[in-house]
Amino acid sequence: MRSNEMGRLKLVFSDVFSFLCLIFVMGFVLRVSANGEGDALNAFKLSLVDPNNALESWNSLLMNPCTWFHITCDGNDSVVRVDLGNANLSGKLVPQLDQLKNLRYLELYSNNISGTIPKRFGNLKNLESLDLYSNSLSGPIPDTLGKLTKLTTLRLNNNSLSGTIPMSLTTVPLQLLDLSNNLLTGVIPVNGSFSLFTPISFANNRLRNSPSAPPPQRTDTPRTSSVPPYI
Amino acid sequence: MLRNRAVDCLVAGFVVMLLSCKSFTFAAESDLSCLRSIKKSFQDPNKYLTSWDFSSRSEGAICRFIGIICWHPDENSVLSINLSNMGLKGQFPTGIKNCTSLTGLDLSFNQISGEIPTNVGSIVPFATTLDLSSNKFTGRIPKSIANISYLNVLKLDHNQLSGQIPPELSLLGRLREFSVASNLLIGAVPKFGGKLGNKADMYANNTGLCGGPLKPCSSTSDKLR
Repeated sequence: MRSNEMGRLKLVFSDVFSFLCLIFVMGFVLRVSANGEGDALNAFKLSLVDPNNALESWNSLLMNPCTWFHITCDGNDSVVRVDLGNANLSGKLVPQLDQLKNLRYLELYSNNISGTIPKRFGNLKNLESLDLYSNSLSGPIPDTLGKLTKLTTLRLNNNSLSGTIPMSLTTVPLQLLDLSNNLLTGVIPVNGSFSLFTPISFANNRLRNSPSAPPPQRTDTPRTSSVPPYI
Repeated sequence: MLRNRAVDCLVAGFVVMLLSCKSFTFAAESDLSCLRSIKKSFQDPNKYLTSWDFSSRSEGAICRFIGIICWHPDENSVLSINLSNMGLKGQFPTGIKNCTSLTGLDLSFNQISGEIPTNVGSIVPFATTLDLSSNKFTGRIPKSIANISYLNVLKLDHNQLSGQIPPELSLLGRLREFSVASNLLIGAVPKFGGKLGNKADMYANNTGLCGGPLKPCSSTSDKLR
């Protein structure tokens, strides 16, 4: 009787032990595969109000977010695109999105997202397109966006952004810029990549209009301008 | 009396809504008519513009047209038009002035003829790139190009443009690329400063240009209008 009980106890013990090993190994495997990118996006989801259930497929128990709708990954299961334009979202952006180290396109336009643009977005080294237009964002354009050496499209128009346009943006290789319809103040940069941008990019703000070019050296030809002082 | 006021409010609200709708679609309607006029102005033997289908009324439909880039994918506001190398014939479409947010126009490598409109400065006032090179444009270079003050790139080379280069073009403070090579131009070249520098190949292969990096404008014949 005693040996039977001992035997059964040993069996139960070994079963429990095996089960715990399994849990440990599983946890380890899941931890390695469940990357920080999924965690970052999940933090974003928790910060948003999503009446249309656009984020229904965002299941944090999955190994990576590459099967989630509105997420595109590259061949290494790293997120390269977030496409949530026109999704009826409200709530706020989160700085943890800077964990998406290979992100190239952040498309969050035409929603009702409020709050500020996180300074940590300057860490998105591979970002090519940042579209936050037509939302309810406020606060400044972070000067850290000047670190985005691959950014070619920046559309922040139709928000309530305030403060000045960071000079650091003139070193970013922008090809398309739209800052119109905000509450921006100060001077419009004209150097670097900003040489490409016309009043259209800055319309409907509280910016001080700068002349289109530095005044010419010659003074024999008078320069007339009918451009208004504020745009 | 309360009912009258409520009706007033309703009517006012309706009018405001109508007006705001109208102002939003006005820009969109304007860009539509701009593109319609381009399609109408050109003979299009390779049928590129035939694909431009105006039947869809959805916002952003024109953004999918070949040669068209929009400011935003879901709004009919044209950022740039690139119809380079499409075998197009005809004249410069003045209806382009209805693309009120246009910053880029490239009609190069076609067979567009006639003159560059004298009021081109008010047709594309916000252009940062204007490329009309390699066509069959005749007549003079319009002075009004000097009013397109945000121009970064101006290419008029390989046409049949005659007369003088307007000296006012030197006022284009953002210009960093300029060419009038291979035309029939005469007279003194503009005194460009800043980014453009003074390279002879901007002016190569013309009839009688002088000054700047070229031979000096000494003889009276160089000063002919």
